[in-house]
Formats: sequence, structure tokens, C-alpha cells
Amino acid sequence: MTGSTFTRRGFLGLTSAAVAGAGLTACTGSGTSTSSGATAAASNNLRLFTYEDDSTIGLLKAQLKKFDAQNGTTTTVESLPGSGAAVYPDKLRTQLLGGKGPDIWRIWGGQIGSPFAKAKQALDLTPYYQKYGWDSKINTAAIGGMTFDGVKSGLPFVSLGIGAWYNKSLLAKAGVSAPPKTYAELETMNDKLVAVGVTPCGLGGKYGWDIMRLFEYLLEHTAGPELHDKLLTGAESWDRPEVVEAFALFKKWQDKKWLPQGALGLDPADIEPGYVQGKTAYTITGPWTEAAAILSAKKSPAAFGNFELPTDQSPARHSGFVEGYMINAKTGNADKSAALLDFIVQPATQKAMQVSASTVKGAEPDPKALPLSAEWAQKFGGNPFYTIQDQAFPKKQADQYFSVQSDLLQGSLKPDAAAKKMQDIVSAWAKG
Amino acid sequence: MATIALSKPTKVKRGGKWSPWLFALPALVVYVAFLVYPAMSSVWFSLTDWDGLSATYRFVGLENYVKLPSDPVVVSAVRNNVIWTVVTIAVPTVIGLALAIALNGKVHGKPILRLVFYTPAVLPLVSIASIWGWLYNPQYGAINSFLRLIGLDGLAQPWLGQDSTALWAVMVPAIWLRTGFPMLLYLAALQGIPDELYEAATVDGASRWQQFWHITMPSLRPAHYIVLALSLIDSFKVFDMIYAMTYGGPGTSTQVMGTWMYFNVFQYYQAGYGTAIAVVITLVAIAVGIPYVRSQTREAS
Repeated sequence: MTGSTFTRRGFLGLTSAAVAGAGLTACTGSGTSTSSGATAAASNNLRLFTYEDDSTIGLLKAQLKKFDAQNGTTTTVESLPGSGAAVYPDKLRTQLLGGKGPDIWRIWGGQIGSPFAKAKQALDLTPYYQKYGWDSKINTAAIGGMTFDGVKSGLPFVSLGIGAWYNKSLLAKAGVSAPPKTYAELETMNDKLVAVGVTPCGLGGKYGWDIMRLFEYLLEHTAGPELHDKLLTGAESWDRPEVVEAFALFKKWQDKKWLPQGALGLDPADIEPGYVQGKTAYTITGPWTEAAAILSAKKSPAAFGNFELPTDQSPARHSGFVEGYMINAKTGNADKSAALLDFIVQPATQKAMQVSASTVKGAEPDPKALPLSAEWAQKFGGNPFYTIQDQAFPKKQADQYFSVQSDLLQGSLKPDAAAKKMQDIVSAWAKG
Repeated sequence: MATIALSKPTKVKRGGKWSPWLFALPALVVYVAFLVYPAMSSVWFSLTDWDGLSATYRFVGLENYVKLPSDPVVVSAVRNNVIWTVVTIAVPTVIGLALAIALNGKVHGKPILRLVFYTPAVLPLVSIASIWGWLYNPQYGAINSFLRLIGLDGLAQPWLGQDSTALWAVMVPAIWLRTGFPMLLYLAALQGIPDELYEAATVDGASRWQQFWHITMPSLRPAHYIVLALSLIDSFKVFDMIYAMTYGGPGTSTQVMGTWMYFNVFQYYQAGYGTAIAVVITLVAIAVGIPYVRSQTREAS
């Protein structure tokens, strides 16, 4: 009966090996991705992957339906809203490696879109820029945000500026009649808000990128435009008084309760709309908040306002970034995908999609539909912007930077040590 | 009849010693294609500098493994894994056993109580993470509100927002959702212990405590094996709770090996290094699982 012994022991042995194998497989995926390089067959079916939420996805789908009717195509849309740039690129990457990537995908510019261009997953759009004349139709600075190593790998259609979006009644409650014009006035406003029991600035530290918007603003205030830009590329050392001062101010914002209690553990999706709900006086965000937070809560835009955070520097700048579309380098439908992109960046389409900060000339926000976005575009849209820091650094360095912010706010790192640590992080990346 | 009796063994031998393998072949093909091959691929990629996106990569030997001990996040992730494993095995098992014993007697509403204690285990993890995220909200969350209500303002904390409490705060919902499972297993096992044993012990003058240690615990031995083995696997592969509740933060304070592997493979475009972490996790899991498999093999034999 040796067979019987083999069966029992063998079964247990095989089972344990299977469990081990399954563990390893689950951890890393199949690893066959490098061979999924074949170009897909041409068809009339297009697939677009995006991260629009319920407030705008309907508008996009309506326009795609229009395009399909004109061109005999069938475009399906898949969306992954919610986590910002933290999760969406992972899912996109997984789809591309699985060989079933979308024909077109929406993506942020800078270091978030860069890996897809560098790995040649995104098509070089230069021929289509020439064919459709996008160079003359789209904002030049925005195109720069989706050009990687000299290759135009994306078509930007949104150029978003970050500012303060506030609740008018809460500012009035604190006796603040007009938005601050200087950094000192901003601090005074914060003190007045705290005095009447209102948390001034609603930002959350989960994921790191939300609370980062405050620090990058403080750095622009202390370092000024020229030095700030050099710091972001590693051309100047972070171990300097201007950076130390910015970190000291960052800590001050928390210590003086100008940020929500326990801000580091808060989810941006929960805390950002706080200014609409009356829990915080303002947040630091972009024009998408008008549709996503104000209009979706059925509130009147008249009860809210926005202002550019005062830097006391010249020129006055705000944080900004671009978003656009890329075409899959392996799609069999490159021409149709490009035609769809050209349709999307038509001024009429942009207006129909209520794009609040379009890069397309002639597609400025409609003051009737999005009065606050229109006001931002008119007052501050023309101002220069510095690259938002989670697009200025690769994700790994950005996460290390968020760790420094976290340690500083928890008091385990002093401002001068934080500046030194940032220098280590940025110089290691810049050298690499 | 004799002829028939002699011809039977010949028929059995038709497949020879390959018969078991022929029967196993379909499953073996699936196993090799979907488990062995990908697992071997993973080991291969852990020896490369593949970014996880490009078509090309470079063989770097053991470089990724050599780098592991000098990665400060790996060191803290291992520590977090050990803490997580010990706490989320010990606490739910003890509470589950206590609940099972309490529910095993004559208790009013036993089915409802059983359902109440087991319900957290069937809730989607993302919902649990959201619910507990709100409970932990420093300003408006129920936990801090309750502490303030009873005058313990000093204990109100930003639970998920500071290194010192974040990991422990994530462990609480993990314990909450994992208590029901051992409770059910122990409850089933307790019902299999004959009453005669307790009656005889009572006649012999054994106290409740003595009955628990000398009758209940030894009778639950098979259940202990299952509970501990499954809890160990569950604890070791922790990823989802941490990912959903803290995203490894604040900073990297709640990173565990599973999440750090994910960050490297999927977020930092360091698939080679991330895969090396995955290989190490698997090897450790095998090493830890060997005593259990050996004990099961011994029992089976």
C-alpha cells in the first residue's frame, strides 16, 4: 500500500506547495507582461479610461455618443474616481500590462504621466499635433506639461490652478470682509476664524498630496518663484533658511489649529468638502470643486468664493498642473483615437463638458454654469504657476517628501532637520 | 471463475505506475500554467531591474535582495508585520473562545447573538475601513466624542493621524471583524464534546476551571490547529485593512511587507525590487507554515 502513503503525504505536500505558489503569484502577477507587445487589430470599438466622478461623467459620455454617431464608432468609458493620482495610475498600468489596455486614457502631466511615456506605452502624438493643428489651438505651457524628453506623448485639455475656495458666511462670522491680500492678512484671518470656533483650512494628510498643497504654497512664499523652481529640479539645495522657514510655518499652521485636528489621518475626500458643509472656512483646491463639491451638494455658488493664496512675491503665482489624454501605443485604432481627441478639444465639446479650466482657446468656463470657475479663470487664470509638487517629483520621492511633512507635523523632525532630509531625497533623485 | 479472478489485476495494471499522474494531469496542467510558471517568473523578475512597465529589463543578480536590509521601511514593515501577526492571532482567538464558551450554555437569543458576533466577518472590507475611518475622525468621530462626553478629553487622539497610535487603531477593526470566525469554529467543536465527560468530572469533584483545562481545552485541539493556521495565514497576508485605512501612513509608519511590496511594484515602478519583497514574504510564510503542515502530515499518516 505504498500508493496510499504517497497519496496522503503527496497530497499534503502538493497542497502546501500550491499555497506557496499561490502566495507568490498573488504577490506579483503573472510577469508575462513584457511579451504583451502586439498591436491590437483595428476596429470601430474604442475604449476610454478616465477618473471622472458622477458630477461630470455623464457630460463626457454624452459627447462621446455624439462622436460615435458622427464616426460610426462605439466608445465605451470606464472610470475610477475617488483617490486622485494615488490609485488610478496603478489600475491603468495593470490594464496595459495585461494586454487589454484602453485605446485612450486620461492622465495627469509631469511625473505622473511621465512613466507611461518613457516606457513607450503612450503613442508619440507629434504627427497628430501636425495633422490637427493642436499646437495653435492648445495653450503652449500646458503642452509642455505633457511633453516628455521632447516627445509630445499627451494632449492636455485641462490646466488647473490651485487656490483657496472659501465659505463666505464663515468668513463673515469671523468679521473678515474681503479675502487676504498678503500672507500676514491670511494669518490674521486664520486667527479670527479660530477665535469664533471655525477651523480655517480643511486639508487631509492621508495620501500626502492634499496637505502638500499648503507646504508648497508656504515654500513659494518664503523662497520666491526663481528659487522654488530650482528647488523642484534639484538645481539648488533644500538645506537653506528659506526652506527651514517654510517648514516652520507649516508646523505653525498645525500648532495654531489653522488645520483640522489630526489632519494627517484625514481623507481628502472627507475633509475637502468641509468648506461647503460649513465645517471649515476654506480649502486649497482647484476649480473642479465647484461641480464636485458645491453644485453636487445643491448649494448656490453665490455663497462661496475663491482667491489666489497671497505669496507676497512677484510675479504672483499659484500651484498648477495639467491633465490630458494619451493614446495607447499598441492600439489598432490610433487614427480614430486621435480623431476622438480632436473632437474632445473642440471648444464646443469642451463647453458642453463644462470643463472648468480648459486649455483650449475659446473654451473658457461659462459664467452661467460655473460662475466661480469663470471668476477664477478671469482673475487668476492668466497668472503663471509653479508645478504642483506631486507632479514635480516621481512618486517614490513624493512619498518620501510626504513622510518628511508627516514627521515634521508630529514633532519628530525639526524644521532644519526636515530641510536637510529633503535635500538628501531630492539630491539622490537628481543625481540618479 | 479462477480465470476471471486472475484477469482482474491485469486490467488494474493497464495504466501502470503512471495512472495516478494521468488522473492528476488536467489539474496539474492548470497548476503549472497558473501557479508554478507565474511563481517562477516572479522569482526571475526579482533578479532584474524591471520597472514593471517597459518591454526591457536588466539582470541584476541578487542586488534587490541585498538592498532589502538597508531599506528603513522594510525594517519597520517587518516589525509591524510581527506586531500585527501576534496581536491579530492572539486577541481574536481568545475572545472567540470566550464567546463560544459563553454561547455554548443555555443562553437566551443564542442564534441572534451568534449572528451579531459573526456579522463583521461578512462585511466588505472597504465598508469596514470607511466606517472605522469615520469613527476615528478626530473632530467628529464617535470615539473621540464619547471620550469627551465622559470627561476623558485627554484621551481623545488623532488615532489614524499619528505614528504612535495608527497601527493599533487599524488593528482594532481587524480584531472586531476576525473574532466571529474562531467563535463559530470553537462553538461547533464545543458541541462535539460529550456531556458525560463533564458529568463524570463533576462527580469526581473537579472545579469549573479544572474542567476547562483538562476536558475542554484538550478536546478543542483539532479546532485550535485550524484556528491558528487560518489566523496565521490571514495575519501574514495583511494588506487591505492597512491600504484602505491609512495607506501605509502617516508617512510610512503603518507599512507592512505586503503594502510595501505593492508600493514598489505598482507605484514606484520598481517591479524587480517589489518582487524580491514578495519572494521573501512567501519564503517566510512557507517557513512559518511548515510546522503546521508537518503536524497535519503526521496525523494523516
